[in-house]
Amino acid sequence: IKPETEVMSLPVGGTTFEFGDLVQIKKQLISVISLCKERGLLHTLTLEDAQDLDALTLAKSYFDLKEYDRAAYFLKGCCSQKAYFLYMYSRYLSGEKKKDDETVDSLGPLEKGQVRNEALRELRVELSKKHIAGELDGFTLYLYGVVLRKLDLLKEAVEVFVEAIHALPLHWGAWLELSNLVTNIEMLKSLSLPDCWIKDFFMAHMYTELQMIKEALQKYQSLIEAGFSKSTYIISQIAVAYHNIRDIDQALALFNQLREQDPYRIDNMDTFSNLLYVKGMKPNLSYLAHNLVEIDKYRVETCCVIGNYYSLRSQHEKAALYFQRALKLNPRCLGAWTLMGHEYMEMKNTSAAIQAYRHAIEVNKRDYRAWYGLGQTYEILKMPFYCLYYYRKAHQLRPNDSRMLVALGESYEKLSQQVEAKKCYWRAYSVGDVEKMALLKLAKLHEQLNESDDAAQCYMLYIQDIFSCGEQLEHAEVSTALRYLGQYYFKNKLYDEASLCAQRCCDYNDAREEGKALLRQISQVRDQIETPSADLFAPLSNNTPVRRVSPLNLISFTP
Amino acid sequence: MDRALNKLILPLQQGPDLSLGQFLKTVEECCPQTAYAVKLKLHEMANGELKDMEYFFYDLPNPYIAFDSEAYKTSVVGLFMRHMFLAYDKLSFSQVYKLYKSLQQYYHSHYAKPSDGQVGLPALVADDSDMDLTNPEDAVGDRIDKEELDTPLHESELRNDNAPSRGPLSQKQAEYFLARQAYLLKNDENKALKPAALQEELNNMLKFNPDFAEAHYLNYLNSMRVQDIFLSAHSLLHYFDRLILSGNEGKSNGDEGYGRSLRYAALNLASLHCRFGHYQQADLALQEAIRIAQESNDHVCLQHCLSWLYTLEQTRGSDSTVLTEDSVKMAAHFCLPYLASLGIQSLVQQGATQGKTAHKLMDALKDTDILHWKHSLSELIEISLAQTTSIWRMYGKSTMALQQAQLLLNMSSLEPVNFGVQQNNTEAFAVALCHLAELHAEQGLYGAVSEILQHLKEQFPPHSQHAKLWMLCDLKIQFERHMNEGKYHLAEPLVTAISALNKTEGLYRKAQVLKALNRSTEAYSILQRLQVHCEKTKCTEVVIRVMLSTAELHWESSGFSTALPLLLQALALARQHHLQSLASETILHLAFTQLMLGVPEQALCVLHEACIEPVLAHGAVMDKGRALLLTARCQMAVAGFRPNGQGQADLRLAVLAVDTLKEAAAYFFRLNCKERLRDVHYLQAQLHRSLGQTSQCNKSAMLFRLLDQELQSPAPPVSMRL
Repeated sequence: IKPETEVMSLPVGGTTFEFGDLVQIKKQLISVISLCKERGLLHTLTLEDAQDLDALTLAKSYFDLKEYDRAAYFLKGCCSQKAYFLYMYSRYLSGEKKKDDETVDSLGPLEKGQVRNEALRELRVELSKKHIAGELDGFTLYLYGVVLRKLDLLKEAVEVFVEAIHALPLHWGAWLELSNLVTNIEMLKSLSLPDCWIKDFFMAHMYTELQMIKEALQKYQSLIEAGFSKSTYIISQIAVAYHNIRDIDQALALFNQLREQDPYRIDNMDTFSNLLYVKGMKPNLSYLAHNLVEIDKYRVETCCVIGNYYSLRSQHEKAALYFQRALKLNPRCLGAWTLMGHEYMEMKNTSAAIQAYRHAIEVNKRDYRAWYGLGQTYEILKMPFYCLYYYRKAHQLRPNDSRMLVALGESYEKLSQQVEAKKCYWRAYSVGDVEKMALLKLAKLHEQLNESDDAAQCYMLYIQDIFSCGEQLEHAEVSTALRYLGQYYFKNKLYDEASLCAQRCCDYNDAREEGKALLRQISQVRDQIETPSADLFAPLSNNTPVRRVSPLNLISFTP
Repeated sequence: MDRALNKLILPLQQGPDLSLGQFLKTVEECCPQTAYAVKLKLHEMANGELKDMEYFFYDLPNPYIAFDSEAYKTSVVGLFMRHMFLAYDKLSFSQVYKLYKSLQQYYHSHYAKPSDGQVGLPALVADDSDMDLTNPEDAVGDRIDKEELDTPLHESELRNDNAPSRGPLSQKQAEYFLARQAYLLKNDENKALKPAALQEELNNMLKFNPDFAEAHYLNYLNSMRVQDIFLSAHSLLHYFDRLILSGNEGKSNGDEGYGRSLRYAALNLASLHCRFGHYQQADLALQEAIRIAQESNDHVCLQHCLSWLYTLEQTRGSDSTVLTEDSVKMAAHFCLPYLASLGIQSLVQQGATQGKTAHKLMDALKDTDILHWKHSLSELIEISLAQTTSIWRMYGKSTMALQQAQLLLNMSSLEPVNFGVQQNNTEAFAVALCHLAELHAEQGLYGAVSEILQHLKEQFPPHSQHAKLWMLCDLKIQFERHMNEGKYHLAEPLVTAISALNKTEGLYRKAQVLKALNRSTEAYSILQRLQVHCEKTKCTEVVIRVMLSTAELHWESSGFSTALPLLLQALALARQHHLQSLASETILHLAFTQLMLGVPEQALCVLHEACIEPVLAHGAVMDKGRALLLTARCQMAVAGFRPNGQGQADLRLAVLAVDTLKEAAAYFFRLNCKERLRDVHYLQAQLHRSLGQTSQCNKSAMLFRLLDQELQSPAPPVSMRL
């Protein structure tokens, strides 16, 4: 990884700031960027340090040419901070490079995962000596932190990163490294961070990572209001946040805006493609894929976009191939593993799917999609009890996501655990059902169990739900609900309501006959009791039956 | 090349990787010359240059072309060498260089350390004879680093570098480690690594090689040790997720690859839930396993499911005889001797509790034993012996039980003894040892009991699966001891502990304590409840004991005639189930009732006919004492003694009674049962007085007085109990 190069892409030039402190921010940014540049983070060098100047210039050139060992050799005797950082950094990168090369020609299959950066331990020993002596500046502290993290000394790494941030708050690389090490909100709160404007960015980033989307959005919003409105970084982050809470339209709009402002951007485009995929927008996805291939076809994001594109066109083999390519480019790319799992699922290759999902979980234990995918795989293998464990895991990670709850409910239903199933469905409805299926399933479950009042209540809520969301859903079973409600009212001798439902039934092809039959029955009964109703054929303005019915006890089936 | 060297080659090829020190030592043991040659060669290569190693490979083929050489192509060594050459030829230049580096490190890491032949897991083993060429290039003795590490560092950092077992293991080492730990876990848990240490090792291993599925399984076993449901479920599922992958690749080794592991995955999940007592979950998982197995016509798996099904039914307390019988039949049909005999053993157990005749049970066990020996199913032989022990004890034949338990403990297992550990931590051993402890306790040999329990504690540490057995056994023994010694206040707190382990037993003991403390009403209500419960669950033994206790409660209110039908009912039950010790106990109670109802002749007759003999032969010391005391009292009553010393007594019978009492006193003395000893002395004094033996009378009276002072509680006017 090279987070060092990810100095934040804030709008440095051409923006007029409104506030005094923003001017300050801009100045700070410019200075830190030049600092970064000097240290090999961008490719220029200002000549300041007369002492080691020759060696530094020479080494920097070698460094730029990726000849790290050579750079390190010529920097060995230098004593300025800058030279020291470059010296250590070249050694680190040299180790990383060698490690990557080793992976290619290892001696056996089992060596995979055993290849290590040999330079790390030496670096740590040297850096820790200097650290104790207090001779490290912000950049070297950052490097020390990276070394510690690579050695899996996470606790120490966190301390050092915090120290590095205090020494040089504007170095976003250190913040990013720190964000990877923070696992929960308590830990985040316990960190003592410098009070700097960049902290807001960090907090927002962390909130997104920890799935606290609402807080993240708030933070970003306040940052925008503070004057960062043209920052593409913030726009992309907000879009990702919307994606995480499945507010697809908002996210799409933001991404489109982003592409207008920054047409050659590749970062985050995989998320964009996910959105397009969910919406089934084939032409847009195809356009995006073509565009990205033109910019750079050997990027993880590009491969993911192409994979999504093929997947949408149901060419799952090709899709899997592209996800594999993405993984070759970056084996720790979480999204690609999960997406590949989905592709294998589509191809009915369950074992490969399980493998892919397991890999995803290995990369990030908190990836709920992978857990969910594993659950689905076992569900396809007809092991409802087995998949419960995985769905439960996914549910733990996303307690307010209705999809996991519905999946859990279905599994319980298959295991004839109706009580649990009911609880799951009801909870799924309560947290805001995305697919609008929970209520229908709950109603059917009640129907099976002969709890007709509860069933009718659920069907009613279902109809309300479907109509209130406005758009037509493919799988909507309003007719089923109406049919049941009609019968239910008829049995309970509420003929007005029953006839309304029956009439509405006639709007649907599959329920027309039954609707008519019910209407006939109703009129027969009415003839018998001789109270013909005048408003029997009154025009239907809305789904009135819902309002008229006596309030049924909802509490009875809340968990 | 001599014989010893030839013998050495195979273990070297197939065994785990060795450190250089170990390797040289083994070679030296059988042939010092070869060892010297090996050392020289290695020295030459490691201290030379790359060309030395290349020369070694270049030079090597010569001997194996010669037809009469030991290293000829088709010999073991020759084959190995051909493999080696092939592997070597395939290496690219950088890989050859890497191999050479590893060799150097391997060599120098040995000489860098002052002590050779170090024990433990060497972190680096790469030999030029290493077949699968998984040489990690990490070195433990990275010397430059070591010197630098003198600077003070955080403790955790230091730990990370200096622990000897850090760093990746080679494939063979890892496999060896896993096999060893798993074996130890199965056979002698105490010798395996401690749960936390093992967990750390496994984590380390998985970090370097996440695809090592077996490590997950060991992780599962390890978490089961510490009763961690979350981690064990997680590891189990992870293991099977991994297994499904490998099963799919190698389709040759089984029918339809990974479908099989799916079934067993569900089955294992069921067993996991069963172990943790989640019976409903276990049932669901089992249903799933059964369904998948049925769909794919896997009869073997189905059989396994069936045996789990009846086990599950049993643990829930419902009758599963029919299921078990089916299981045995099917298992026999599909030639699964293990499952078949397991089923039979389960049937025997059920039969024993339901009162099947002894010879049927023993016959069944004998038949299965023949099967076991034929198939060398040592685990089942052990179970069978333990079961026989239990059955004999249930029937009240303590000598036979003792003999069977000893047989099991002294039997050398059929299992091969690996890693110097014999299998001795199965449930069978625990059961046998517990019986042994209880049998010794019955005879008042408390020293031996504490030794046995100590051994149990070491062998089955409190967190392990079978620890509850000895815990309950220990508590029961302590309880009995306190009750016998009349220390009821000490027995009372034990009741709670017993209830935690076994509810029924706990309730029964509670009733006993309450009865001893004269809280009859409470005791009675508990006994009633217990009887209803046990009749439902068919715990005949407890039912009879409850009836006896109820009868004792009736005595206290002088309701001797009301006790009679109860006792007769208990006797019938005991006889029906062949529970000899309980039957004798019941007769003892009956005789006492008769004595109290004023028919001592009848009582004496009953005692002599059906009770004294089995009690003296098999009974506990306490029972022996009580039986003799009762006999003496009957004898005195028959002889015509009255409590106030009126009337003329039959002297011949009185002399007999004196002897009986002396014997009884010896038994009570052994148990330190002072209350009963006091009764005995009282009766002795009476007898001696009527026989005119004044000095003996005085002695007994003095003993009585001493005990009476010590006990402080007033003696009941006429001893109203057994």
